[in-house]
This record gives sequence, structure tokens and C-alpha cells, in this order.
Amino acid sequence: MANKYDVIVIGGGHNGLVTAAYLARAGKRVLVLEQRYLVGGATVTEEIYPGFNYTVMSYVVSLLRPEIIRDLKLAQHGLVILPLESTLTPLLDGRYLYRDGDHFRSMDSIAQFSARDAEAYDEYGRTMYFMAKAVKYILGIIPPDPARLQPRDLTGLLSLARHTLGLSDRDLHMLAKLMTMSAADFVERWFEAEPLKATLSASGIIGTYMGPRSPGTAYVLLHHYMGEIDGQFRAWGFAKGGTGGIANAIARSALSLGVEIRTEARVAEVIVKKGRAAGVALEDGEEILADVVASSLDPKRTFLQLVDPVLLPDELLQAAERFNIRGSSAKVNLALDALPELACKPGNGRHMAGAISISPSLDYMEEAYDDAKYGDFSRRPYIDIIFPSMIDPGMAPPGKHVMSCFVQYAPYQLREGTWEEKREALGDAVVDTLAEYFPNIKDLMLHRQVVTPLDIEEMTGLTQGNIFQGELTLSQLFFLRPAPGYAQYRTPIRGYYVCGSASHPGGGITGAPGRLAALEILRDGI
Amino acid sequence: MSESYDVIVIGAGLNGLVTAAYLAKAGRRVLVLESRPIIGGLAATEEPFPGFKFNTGAHDSGMFSQQIFQDLGLSGQELTFYESPAAVHSPQPDGASITLWRDIEKSQAAIEKRSPRDASRFPEYLAQMERVRRLVYQVIERSPPIFSDVTFSQLWPWASVGWQLRRSGKKEMMETLRVLPLPVRDFLDEWFEDEALKGLLAVPALTGGMPGPYAAGTTFMLHYQHLGKVGGGYRTGRFLAGGIGQLSEALAQVAREAGAEIRTAAVVDHILLDGDRARGVALVEGEAIASQVVASSLDPRTSFFRLIGGANLMPHFMREVRNIRYQGTTARVNLALSDLPSFVGVSDANQLSGYIVYAPSLEYLERAADAVKYGRISERPVLEAIIPSLLDPSLAPERQHAMSITVQYAPYELEQGDWQEERERLGDQVVSLLSEIAPDLPQLILNRQVITPADYEHNFGLTEGHIFHGQMHLDQLFFMRPITGWANYGTPFENFFLCGSGTHPGGGLTGMPGYLASREILKA
Repeated sequence: MANKYDVIVIGGGHNGLVTAAYLARAGKRVLVLEQRYLVGGATVTEEIYPGFNYTVMSYVVSLLRPEIIRDLKLAQHGLVILPLESTLTPLLDGRYLYRDGDHFRSMDSIAQFSARDAEAYDEYGRTMYFMAKAVKYILGIIPPDPARLQPRDLTGLLSLARHTLGLSDRDLHMLAKLMTMSAADFVERWFEAEPLKATLSASGIIGTYMGPRSPGTAYVLLHHYMGEIDGQFRAWGFAKGGTGGIANAIARSALSLGVEIRTEARVAEVIVKKGRAAGVALEDGEEILADVVASSLDPKRTFLQLVDPVLLPDELLQAAERFNIRGSSAKVNLALDALPELACKPGNGRHMAGAISISPSLDYMEEAYDDAKYGDFSRRPYIDIIFPSMIDPGMAPPGKHVMSCFVQYAPYQLREGTWEEKREALGDAVVDTLAEYFPNIKDLMLHRQVVTPLDIEEMTGLTQGNIFQGELTLSQLFFLRPAPGYAQYRTPIRGYYVCGSASHPGGGITGAPGRLAALEILRDGI
Repeated sequence: MSESYDVIVIGAGLNGLVTAAYLAKAGRRVLVLESRPIIGGLAATEEPFPGFKFNTGAHDSGMFSQQIFQDLGLSGQELTFYESPAAVHSPQPDGASITLWRDIEKSQAAIEKRSPRDASRFPEYLAQMERVRRLVYQVIERSPPIFSDVTFSQLWPWASVGWQLRRSGKKEMMETLRVLPLPVRDFLDEWFEDEALKGLLAVPALTGGMPGPYAAGTTFMLHYQHLGKVGGGYRTGRFLAGGIGQLSEALAQVAREAGAEIRTAAVVDHILLDGDRARGVALVEGEAIASQVVASSLDPRTSFFRLIGGANLMPHFMREVRNIRYQGTTARVNLALSDLPSFVGVSDANQLSGYIVYAPSLEYLERAADAVKYGRISERPVLEAIIPSLLDPSLAPERQHAMSITVQYAPYELEQGDWQEERERLGDQVVSLLSEIAPDLPQLILNRQVITPADYEHNFGLTEGHIFHGQMHLDQLFFMRPITGWANYGTPFENFFLCGSGTHPGGGLTGMPGYLASREILKA
């Protein structure tokens, strides 16, 4: 056993790669172990059908922390983020709601549904801007531990308090509301037009097993508003080459800093000697030693599978067992012979280079959830569509297109049957729904990939296929994430850390958990 | 203008009476104005049919603050409390049933038949509920801080809460913070496996609410409903001989003895303002009454939009008040019965002495709640019945019984039809559902009263018929109740205060909003 590393990172998803890169940047010898043939985790682009590159799971980016782009020189390593400027909500009655960066044009479109909403749109935007700005701060800090008043925690609390109190009264009040209310109630404070309310509150249900009327979804909405690209708030973008382009850029940066990455290396367990992490054993029996092991996997795997439970306190084992990680999202990726025609707005306009959201009304969204909460996939699902090939022509052969459809809800745990049996039925439900809005889509389909929550789990190792590695609910945020008392990336085993989306501040392509974990590992002076 | 008072309290519900009693005892000259012919609001016992007495609102007196009881000398009043031996009886669709008792071992024996694992965990569950209850109680007995202008004196009372939390241990504190925002489904799933047990335990968590048990924050409500005492694990089961109205009568008596006047059938039309300053009230029939202070125990929307008037509100404040969510979902069916119905699974009439619920599983509750999102009445609603005449014969003629059924979900705003048409249909639906678990019940009905959310609004003055003066979701609690920035009972109008369930800590017969408001009024 010749090799000994300073740090082994388990999992080559974007957070694992960020942790590795930051540690290597600080001079550590780092090895990343990824079970699949490629890095990226849920942030991958794959050529599933010849010539067509699918953003298999995640498909857009907004939340990637700018300091990471800067520190890891991601632009130099090939990261290009192309703007995704508009959102169109088609309706079956021939109308549509169109919003983009041109505020006045958006207001005109909204005014066709409600003049009052058009007026309120400005104030809503302003409120969300300040909210996101306020909460964004939280993305960048280590959660303090309110129960253990160490001097460092105390200063953490104080600076949090100072920051919070720096907000205006109204901001502060709104923030408290946002943390606890439902996305639907929240947007209904401003708006009355159904397509607008539904499309705005859709951000609050992504990745959750909750409906727009479920309390707690307003926070998820805010979570999606916290993104920034190049310091521009609220902008969503598409990475050149798909989200795999992001993982590849981070991987290239990591490699240039000296990180070793091994793919198809499946970790069986973490080796613990004398109460300290000492390395990992792979499934093929190989043992690799390291002073520190950082797991970017979810708590079910990190605490219940990779280490011997006797090494962990009962409360942590119980917390990991209780950790809420219900999968609810699916993905349908299509290879198309040509760009389909949107019935309510035909033609190949710039709107086809933006997002298209099948979210006609709050009731539509809530009914989709009603189906799912008893264990069926939504008969008429919420679908968030982009045409990656319209933004980055390299994604498909000339003249042809790829279509990425994010689908909710598809519960991991089905009431009847298995996902093996239901996979294509879900695909049919999605395509049938799409065909109501894109009448010619069935004629154009060359290939269809249906990615169920079970597929996400099997591909990436995300338990239940939950894309956020655990729901973003109040009981699982901030100092309660991933477990009460263990929010500072350390575990009860010395030298064993967590660095994935299951830790603060949570899911999305942020890189924030990976970076904060690396900083804590370095603080411990390994 | 007629004679002048120190304080006028609008509304003689429980909180209005508590406010009046404290202020009168502090030497203020107090007038209470009640629009109905009787006092009590939702803490009233009425006799819609001769010889049959029903609580038209709340039943349980166990949430009422012991501190208020002592402060006001209510022990000097003739109040007889009794506790039901059974906490709850829950008949199942398959003919089985489960009964929980005040006696934990008896409950364990009942649970044991369905799940030995659940039976063994039940005592620890109750102990845990009790620990959280104590922590939650600390929070409800204080005025919430107003974060925008945090001063030492405001935060000082909270220092002891922080201390208590810390002293309770890190694990306990973290656990409390973790569980309160949980959906009650997740919370109960962590403890138990039997669907029937989880279904019945979740019912109090849904009281007055719109969301079902899958919604975040319902675990808070579960604990809130056990504030007085965890008891057998289902509400407190502490009742008053003669009905809950006796509590209101006793409070009124205390207030009167301290010099307060209480006028019924006195409908306040609006509050008299002098700029931004309240100076009295005008009654509907035209009489104007002057006072130094006006305290409204009505809900915030009624208090500001009807009594103050929308034209007098600043736009931001007006919008915040308008955005308070009400949407009553609770209806009541009162039945005068010629005999005790035979419920399935009952071998001992004592099994019916507490609550009787129809809530066979968490999924049943959630499906019942689905309807309300679309403005429909649940096809199969959640029922929570009580037959107080079993232990208190004064409530019904001999051998006959008064049965009161709380029905959820029945939305105030119906997508189709109106409550005038739906009222009796709902009554029929409830009786038909009850006949599944008490087959002889339909033949025993002598009389029936159905109180819909529209009736609660029209007859009791509750906006949208909401029994708690506004939904008790996490975002409408604590310093966000009634609205953020105005959680300490004051209003933008000088000398005008709120003192009802629309303020912290909220609905239910705690008396705390009235008590906390009276303290703020005395400070001012």
C-alpha cells in the first residue's frame, strides 16, 4: 500500500470536486473516488443517443457561488455560462405568459392577464431582490451551533444577528414569513393571475415532495432566487456543454491543482482506526489510506452504510434514519428531428431559447401533488422545459434538437407497481401533456430517455433520487442540516467529514457545501 | 355623549372577559360590549332545543391558564371541573376500534392489541410531549418581541426562556426546534406504526386549520393543543360541569365584582377616532360612549376594516391586515339524542366519555383536507364528537343525550353553491358517516343543529368563520401574529389595542391573549 493521501473525497459530484479542489489549492494531496465512469454526479451531460447530448439530470445553473468560479478559475478551465433569458407559460386556450429580462415587456404580458398584477410585479421583484440579498449571506457562512456556546459560535450568532438586524423592518418581517409560509400564499400576497402565480410558485416545489400550498415551500422559492451569475442576481443560465460542462470545468481545475480523480472506484467502507478515519476500502478490496476522509454522499450513506454504526452515537444514527429524503422529481430527455411548434406561439423565436413552464394554474400544480402524495406519479405533471440545443448548438446535430423536461411529481415510493414497470407510463404521461402544448412533438421524436427517481438513485447514489440530497424544510436547514448538532461538516469520527448537498446550505449547483466543508477541514489543521 | 370609561372592551368572549377582569381588578373603570344576547363567544353553552345544552364553540377547559385562574380568584367561583376517564375512542371502518385512556397502562393495553411496538413506545411519547409542552408554554406566556426595535426591556423576559432552553439540554432544545416545524405525519411516523393510532393522535393538530397532516407546521399545532396538560395523549379532557359557558360566566362575575359593566346585545358600529387616537365607540343604534382606551377582542380584519375603517389605514398596514389568512374549515353538528348510540367496539360506556373521533388513518385525514384546497367539502370528513351529557347529566333530559360533532373540512368559501343550501346536506352527510360507526344513531336523533363556517361568521362575528381569528400556521404565529411589527397588542392607533385570539399566542381557550393584552394596556 504505497499510496497515502492527505484527503480522500468520496463522490465526484460537483460538491466533492469543489472540496477536493479547495484542499489541493491549500497544498493537500487529494484523491477523489467516483463510482461512475464519469465525474459530475447529478451534474452530467451524456450522449445517450448518438449525436445528442442530454443534460441527464440537472439542466440549468444559477446558484453556483461566484467566489468558487473565481477561486478555482473555472472560466480558464472552460466554464462558459450562456444566458437563459425568458420563461414562457403556455396555456391551452391559446394565450401565454412571457417574462424576460425586459421588465416592461414582461409587465405587458402580465397585464394581458391582470393589470393589477403587472403593477405589483415591480414591487415583487424588488422585494425578492432584497430577500435574496439578505439570505444569500447565509449561503456563505458556517451555521453556528445555538446549543453549544463556544466563543466562535457566539461570534457567528452575533454576526448573523447583526446582519439580520441590518435589514429594514419590512425586509425582516418578510423574511420571517418566507421561512414559514407556502409558495402559493406568498405569491398570492401580490398576484391574482393563475399562470403567473403558478409559474412563480413552481420554484418553491422543485426538488420537494410538497405542493405549492404546502407551508415551507416559500423558502424553497427563495432558495432558487438566491443565485447569481457574474454577480447578477436572479439570472439563470445554461452551461456550455450542459451541466456536465460545470463538473468538467471543476474537475479540470482540480486536476491542475494536483488532485487525482479515480472513476469506477466504488467505496465499500471508511476505515476507522482508533476512533479516527484512516482511509477507505473499495468494493474490490483495495484499501487506500488517508488522514482525512470527506463524504459528499447523503447522510443515509455517509452514516448508515459507509461506517460501522457502533462508532456513531445513537442520536446521529437516529437523525440519519429520520432524515427526510423523499424523491419526487423525474427527467424526460428527448432527441427531436426538428424544433417542435408551440401551439400558442408558433415559430422559432427567442422564446424557444428560454424556459417553457407547464404550470397553467395553482390548482393544476396542487392536483399534480395530490396524485403524488398518495404514491402515484402526476397524471398531468408540472414540467419545466428547455431546449439546450437552442442555447448551445453543440448539444445536437445541426437542425436537430434536444429537449430537457424536468417533471414533478414522480414519487420514489410508488403505491402500486415498480418504477421498472411504470417508467414508460410516466414517459407517456409527460409526452401526452407536452403534446397538448406542442401538437407535432410526437412526430419529431427520435429518442426518449425517462429518468425516474429510482434511476437517479441507481445512477448517482442519491438516496430515493432526491435531487437536493434531502428536502429543504425548516427541520432540515441551517444548524439542523444534515443532523441537529452536526451542521459544521464534522462528524463524531475524527478526520471524517461531510461535504455534500445534505449539509448546509443544501442542494442545487452551488458548490457552497463543498467549499465550506473544505474550509472547515483546513481549519482543523490536518 | 354618555358617561366615560377608562377602558371599553369590545366582545365578551373568553379573551375579552379576561382583559376586562384584569383591568377592572387593577382599578380601571371598564365597560364590555357584546353583540350577541349572551356572553362567552366561542366559550358559551347554549340551549337550542329545550333541555339540551351544547357548547357552541370549545369544549375543553384544560388549556385555560392556571395563572389567570389564580390571579383572578376563579377558585372562589362555583366551578366544578371533571376529567373524562377515556381520552378518546376511535372506531375503525373494519369494525375494530381503539380507546386511549387517562390511565396510560389501559391505553397501552389497547394499543398492544394492534402493535406491541407502539404500545411500548407510548409512555415515552407522552413524556416527550410533556417536555416539549413545557418549553412551548414558556413561549406562549410572554408578549412576543418586536424585532425591529429590540430593547433590553423587551428581550429581558425572553432571557429566562433562553436559559430554560439551554438548561433543558442541547439534545432537547435541538429536538424541539427540529420537530415543531415538521408535518405531524412525519412526527407520528417517527414514533408509531399503527395507522389507526397515528390517525387519531393527529386530529388535534388539524384543529381549525386548512392543511392536512402532510403539511409542515402541524406538529406545532399538536403540541399547542396539549398546552394545558398532555393527559392521556388526546387534548386535555378537562371539562366543566354545566358546560364551558360556566367559565365565561365566572369570568364575567369576577369582572363585575371588580366594578366592570357588561352589556349584551350592544353592537359596536365603529371606533371613534380623534386623528390617530381612539376616544370611544359608537354603537349601531347611534349611542356614542367615550373612553380612554378601546380594546377589541374581535379578529384583526373586523377590528381594523369594520371598526376602524379601511379609509383610516396606511396602505402597507392595510395590505398586511388584508393578507392575514382566515378561511374557516370547521363546522359543528349538534344532535339531541333520545338515547346513547351504540358505537362499534364499545363494551363499556366509559369508552365514550372523552372524545370520539372518526380518523382511521393519516391518509384519510389528508384526503379530507384535499377538498378544501379546491373549495369543496370533504366527501368523507374528519369527525370529532363528544357526548358530555354522559358525565354531566345536567346537559340533557334524563337518559337522553347531547352530542356535539366537530366536522372538518368544510371551507368557508365554497366553489359551488352556498352554505344556505349546503347546511343540511352537510348535516345529512355527517349523520350518514356516523351511522357507519354507530348504526342506530339516525333513529335516535330528536333534533339537529348545524353550524357552518358562514354561521360562525354571521352569528359569532368571526371573519370567514375562523374559530382561531386567523389560521395558526407558523407564518401567522408569535411575532407574526396578527401581523409582524404589531405583535405586542398595540396598533397604529393610540389607545387602541387588540386582545383576542388574532393576537399571540392565538386561538383556543388559553386566556393568554387577553391576559397579555391587559398587561400591555396597563403599561401604556
